[in-house]
Amino acid sequence: MSITINTTINGNAVTASTEPSMSLLEFLRDTLEYKGTKLCCNTGECGACTVIYNGKPINSCVTLAADANGAEITTIEGLAEGDKLHPVQQAFIDTGAVQCGYCTPGYIMSVKALLDRTKKPTQTDIEEAVSGNICRCTGYAKIVDAIQLAAQKL
Amino acid sequence: MDYFEPKTVSEALLLLAKHGAEAKVIAGGTDVMVDIKYKEEPGCLINIKKIPGLGAIRENGSCLRIGALTTIRDLETSGLVRDKLPVLWEASHQFASLQIRNTATIGGNICRASPSGETLTPLLVLDAKAKIAFSDGEKTEPFASFFQGPGKSSVGSKGLLTEIDVPYPAAGSKSVYLKHAVRGAMDIAMVGVAVLITPDAAKTSLQDVRIGLGAVAPTPLRATKTEALLRGKPLTAALLKEAAAMAASESSPISDQRSSAEYRRWIVEALTRRGLVQTWKAVTGKEIA
Repeated sequence: MSITINTTINGNAVTASTEPSMSLLEFLRDTLEYKGTKLCCNTGECGACTVIYNGKPINSCVTLAADANGAEITTIEGLAEGDKLHPVQQAFIDTGAVQCGYCTPGYIMSVKALLDRTKKPTQTDIEEAVSGNICRCTGYAKIVDAIQLAAQKL
Repeated sequence: MDYFEPKTVSEALLLLAKHGAEAKVIAGGTDVMVDIKYKEEPGCLINIKKIPGLGAIRENGSCLRIGALTTIRDLETSGLVRDKLPVLWEASHQFASLQIRNTATIGGNICRASPSGETLTPLLVLDAKAKIAFSDGEKTEPFASFFQGPGKSSVGSKGLLTEIDVPYPAAGSKSVYLKHAVRGAMDIAMVGVAVLITPDAAKTSLQDVRIGLGAVAPTPLRATKTEALLRGKPLTAALLKEAAAMAASESSPISDQRSSAEYRRWIVEALTRRGLVQTWKAVTGKEIA
């Protein structure tokens, strides 16, 4: 059985068909070729697949692709404007908050959602916002620096 | 795999009647998607997320009515929940990660019927009730008798949980939800304990005590013997020690990758003691003598 999805990804209307058991992550990566959203634990525990779904950060690996129907989704590809990086992306570079980089798109989406809802996040806000994102290079101090820098710039 | 998006509860019930045991209900998907990938793909998926009217939190007299599709984040950000049902708020606040809280629903957490389900011991100590729709009518079932085993509840394969009715605890009562896990976020409880106490008018003894234990038996449960031991008495150091040990003896944990049964019993004892100490102090303003 195949179902048709009408959705908006990074501001663009998209129509595509999918298997009903497919996750939003598989739909983004394998059907629509948005490879910036990462597959890691595939059980909703590590945050590498974080996207913004109707304004909220979610784990796309444990969300049905079918739930993209009628939704507005932002992926890491939707942040930069041409060659100009989004302030959150630039802050991760400026503070050296990237090591292997695999968790970075998920972090950046969590932080983008945080700064969309809070202009001046407290330490607690920051910790809560990225508590569902795991970095196995253990670069957490620099990630917090990046979030604080991004908050100042925005 | 067949896939349906019913628009009403009765449409969902018809689909459940038709597809029976091979059908799986999905809402947030945070548990079901993992099963689809790592266990077994169901014959049929019934996505109830688009049924209108099941996602609201409404005050009804001295009771909060929570729609089954209410997300954990909705509970966490609800002023009503935080103000009136702080023990449920605490559990929602400690639930997985922000990403999961944004999608996981209270109905899913309940119907999963996992002994460690974060919202379940708070619902047990709050004496909450489940509203379950069946094709031959609606049934209201207290959570005290709702859970039948891991993954098994009164909802069965034909019912649909629609609403959770939570009466407000008595004025002057205090509660706490304590979770023991390795990590602060994104971790399943080794043990979860919810304690709710109501003092007598003089604030010298326990008029009512409710203790919920999670992740230490095939279902979340109330420590009813411990509650009976405490009821009507002032909380002394000797009684506290006896009660905490009794709560541990009422649990029947298993050993698994998260901890041994023996360790879990110690933690039940410690968290029960801590929960009673904290709530007693909140009620009386005094330490236990």
